[in-house]
Amino acid sequence: MARIAITGAASFLGARLLRHLARTRGADSVLVLDVAAPPSALHGVRHRLVDLTLPAADRRLVEILQEEGVDTVVHAAFFTDPRRDAEYSHELESIGTLHLMAACAAAGVGHVVQRSFTAVYGARGQNPNFLTEEHAPRPDQGFWWIVDKLEAEQHALSFAQRYPRMTVTILRLAPLLGPGLYTFYTRLFAKRVVPVVLGYDPLVQFLHPDDALAAFDAALTAKVEGVFNVVPRSSISLLTALHLAEKLTVPVPHPLAYSLADLLWGSGLGEAPGGFVDYVRFLFVADAARARRVLGFEARHGSREALMDYLRYRYPHRYARAPRLAKVRA
Amino acid sequence: MRAARLAEQARGRIERLEGELARLRDELDRARSPRHDGLLVTLARVVQAGVGGLSWQTLARLQAAAYFTWHGDELDEFGYDPVFAEAIRPFFEFLYAVWWRVEASGVDNVPAAGPALVVANHSGVLPYDGAMVKLAIRHNHPGRRECRMLMLDMFALLPVLAPALTKHGEIRAHAENAERVLGRGDLVGVFPEGVKGVGKYFRDRYRLARFGRGGFVRVALRTGAPIVPCAVVGAEEIHPIVARADWIGRPLGFPYFPITPTFPLLGLLGLVPLPTKWSIDFADPVPTDGYGPEAADDPILVNQLAEEVRAAIQKMIDGRLARRRSLWFG
Repeated sequence: MARIAITGAASFLGARLLRHLARTRGADSVLVLDVAAPPSALHGVRHRLVDLTLPAADRRLVEILQEEGVDTVVHAAFFTDPRRDAEYSHELESIGTLHLMAACAAAGVGHVVQRSFTAVYGARGQNPNFLTEEHAPRPDQGFWWIVDKLEAEQHALSFAQRYPRMTVTILRLAPLLGPGLYTFYTRLFAKRVVPVVLGYDPLVQFLHPDDALAAFDAALTAKVEGVFNVVPRSSISLLTALHLAEKLTVPVPHPLAYSLADLLWGSGLGEAPGGFVDYVRFLFVADAARARRVLGFEARHGSREALMDYLRYRYPHRYARAPRLAKVRA
Repeated sequence: MRAARLAEQARGRIERLEGELARLRDELDRARSPRHDGLLVTLARVVQAGVGGLSWQTLARLQAAAYFTWHGDELDEFGYDPVFAEAIRPFFEFLYAVWWRVEASGVDNVPAAGPALVVANHSGVLPYDGAMVKLAIRHNHPGRRECRMLMLDMFALLPVLAPALTKHGEIRAHAENAERVLGRGDLVGVFPEGVKGVGKYFRDRYRLARFGRGGFVRVALRTGAPIVPCAVVGAEEIHPIVARADWIGRPLGFPYFPITPTFPLLGLLGLVPLPTKWSIDFADPVPTDGYGPEAADDPILVNQLAEEVRAAIQKMIDGRLARRRSLWFG
């Protein structure tokens, strides 16, 4: 029986995907490959314990994939948040992807869909306003958070080249923002005071989780090789977003911002290290044309809608919506 | 049969009403956002609450209200903010009509519809000439066309100035950005001299610097947009650069540091540009659609067209200078 396996099912996106796949394809055709068990509410979903960071993870994965008859893998085992344990995230994201891809190739898996980040392009002053997939990713090489993600992409693409029978689709998702999310981005919008870089106000993209799910659906159906940006319909300026959220912004001059962020991060107060300052200073807006053309995926939400949806969830009283009427449908 | 038709009609109406409802809910959401209160109302509320009522929340609301008095929350895809542009427009209108008494001629050479690339000489330390070319087209063109100016990297990276220019409608100079705007059928303005133009010495005034490497010609060839040569006379004297202390500018992110008779001698007052008399002339467009997009890879043709445009601009400048009696009165 052709099964679909999913890694990183304990992450927010992974959990949403798991639920979605279990609902649309039937619970017994979904296999969870993770160290954590899936929620017990998802009755019928199979779970095999795999630790991608173990040295022999690839051999165990081959066995499991063959035993379970897996033909499609969704790889979502990535940390959205920068972690203080940089070594562990490197082992999981970069080396873990290497293990997974080797196992998929050996077990004859037909299609791998890997989650990635638009942040791999790197936020730079020299970027054009819309980064297409043709642009080589040039992140700050010293910022391990994003370098590991780029390495994972490169491992996946090199396996795709060596094993033409295996189709590898990489989805570069814009930063997620929406109800139920808890990442360093959403925590930024849950703080009272937010430091910003003085005199910079880049356009940013916030992807609604519903659009992210729709993109995975489109990728699984289309089964096309390659890299695709998955971005919202429109972008929003960072300051507009922060002021819509009624955050008190404190401008920090950019020569100080990097070391201040590192200091706050080191002391446990900050949400992200200095390497992240580039992402609130410069552009890294990605272009949606290719996903639209090839996958037929079109985001339904803009960045502003994703933000407002999150704010309504986070501050239900302040951003109460007009009551929703019951759907009138026969 | 009839029942089916009625059901169809009813469904159509329900869908229309649902669309209407979604629109109204959206409008209501907007009306509830903090910017709607306005700065004065928010300020009055803070004063009314007194010192005891001060909190992060009220400060953040005040900041948001101040921000939204001169910023909109709807930007176009390049970050143009119509509310902001409208708010600072009186300043440029004053410079245009009173300070520099701009005289525009040949604006009819800008096509009435469809894409076109306006190419002009660059000078004057700060990118005032871009704003003036834009206004010249807006005021004198029968179609009141809006021209998107491409800004130099150095302005696109400077704090404070970069987001202000972006919100005013300027776009970072990048071939892909230009092609995207031209592809939409809009006007794009470009200064191929770049930094060599704005930072030129007073003694080199009206001697056109090298026109980059012909990138603007390649963009025009790829999109088939005609090139409209444009000569700005008067801008070269607003900040006469007598010497340059680039070693001060470089660490601040400025490729040069101008020394003029008034700056930095008079401090901030030295930043007031001299009230010269300006003229902005447009010449006959140079068509590029006859060559085909692949001609962009022909360096000889690209250079020849660039030279043609450069000669046309130099000719207009020389003609104006020959007729000019006074620097201040034209």
